[in-house]
Amino acid sequence: MKINAGNLKKGDFINYQNDIWQVQKAEFYSPGKGSALMKTKIWNVKSQKNIDVTFKSMEEIEVVDVESRLMVFLYKDNDNLYFMDEKTYNQYQVLLSSVSGLEKYLKEGDKVYVYLYDEKPLSVRPPLSVRLKVIEAEDVVKGDTVSGAKKPVKLETGAIIMVPLFIKIGDIVIVNPETGEYAGREGN
Amino acid sequence: MKIIINSENLKNHKNYIFILQLIEKFLQEKGYQKIDLPVLSPVLIPESYLELFETEFKYFNKRKKLYLTPSPELFLKRLLAYGIGNCYYLGKSFRNNDLPSSLHSFEFTMLEFYKVKTNYMDIADELLEMLRYVNKKVKSEKSKVKIESQKLKINFNKWEKISVVQAFEKYAGISENELFDHNLFLKKAKKKGYQIEKFSYEDIWSQIYVQEVETHLGKNGCPTLIYDYPKEFAALAKLNPDGKTAQRFEFYIDGIELGDCYTELTDWKEQVDRFREEYLERKKHKKINHPIDKGFIEALKYGLPNCAGIAIGVERLAMVFLNLDSINQLKVINIQ
Repeated sequence: MKINAGNLKKGDFINYQNDIWQVQKAEFYSPGKGSALMKTKIWNVKSQKNIDVTFKSMEEIEVVDVESRLMVFLYKDNDNLYFMDEKTYNQYQVLLSSVSGLEKYLKEGDKVYVYLYDEKPLSVRPPLSVRLKVIEAEDVVKGDTVSGAKKPVKLETGAIIMVPLFIKIGDIVIVNPETGEYAGREGN
Repeated sequence: MKIIINSENLKNHKNYIFILQLIEKFLQEKGYQKIDLPVLSPVLIPESYLELFETEFKYFNKRKKLYLTPSPELFLKRLLAYGIGNCYYLGKSFRNNDLPSSLHSFEFTMLEFYKVKTNYMDIADELLEMLRYVNKKVKSEKSKVKIESQKLKINFNKWEKISVVQAFEKYAGISENELFDHNLFLKKAKKKGYQIEKFSYEDIWSQIYVQEVETHLGKNGCPTLIYDYPKEFAALAKLNPDGKTAQRFEFYIDGIELGDCYTELTDWKEQVDRFREEYLERKKHKKINHPIDKGFIEALKYGLPNCAGIAIGVERLAMVFLNLDSINQLKVINIQ
């Protein structure tokens, strides 16, 4: 399927110079000289390299039909994340380097969509939010209310994120796994 | 879209306000008159690459279309024609169609200043002095601004000056002949792998500029001034005697475009021709069809003095001085 580059969005897979690339960043841009452009950062599924490419917003780009299949996250090692398709019990491995830090917010048993092209896993679609338990949090330090408005806490997956001062150990926080930003607290 | 409160940005915001104060202090000491201007106008200068915000004034059963100004140029040049002299505007400008990003916002703070009896290179000197002044005050020991990281060390004592011709040759391997001859240029672009079918010279030129040239600018330890754009990108700038290029420069620090300067076109007949082209281009791209500012042409007829002016995105400039990665880090209230 061909679409205008102006409609590209993060996560899309495209055919560019006979390779499959995933769009990591896409910014619509009117340079003030000529018509609008789409500045992108794209990731090569084979070489794992990122490059910056500027498209004309009206340029036609071939979007590759990559399947996204719901799978269970099993575990990770130094290089890969391992997932299982619950219907077929087939296991798939996804390179750590291809998930842009998402592994810091996944815990065993989480269900996520894995991208497959010709049955080969390419990457993982980040969930909109994940719910994780706080395992380490400092007590609030009194004083500077501006810079003290947030504090770092450690989550059950080991990730460290900034949260409001009222968060304490044992709380379940909602996190955007793409940015690592705190999005709320569960319950109450 | 929603309103986002970023109280953690208050420190950056204070520093940003401090930088704005420094810029104004510099300009006022140099004798520039500050002008406050409307941001809603019933007419605009036709500019093909911009999209606008359109609104309405309603009274009883009457309706009148108004547009948020994408730059204060139409007002300031009128005032210049009526003899106000060196002047500046520091305030909001609005451009639709740009998705908010680390460098873009559809509502942004613009500094535009004009100096009479000068050309674009005189503005370059004045601008460098302003950058040096702000940098010195921001980095001085007495300064309240405490910058945490010093990832960029910029020498504001000189420009790296490079012409558009030199830059295309150096960074994109496109010769002077190829740059100005539309057919040769498109052929070369195709050879380089660009999709050229159905696209204009201007479209491909911009693409190559952003992809291959822009990323190198302002990376050599001092700000880069890139000058003399092909006449297709003259906008409201005066042409050089060669007839192929316009007296326009942009300046960059670390690959980020910070400002756009012209020796202003004073020939009203040429301006009318360019307005017509821009108007047709807007129509072709189905952009908002706004009434053209005929008073602007009248002002040129009355007599715009020889002058040069520059527009600077001050949020980006402050971002660079404060070593931040995004203009959003300066904002305590942000709409995204």
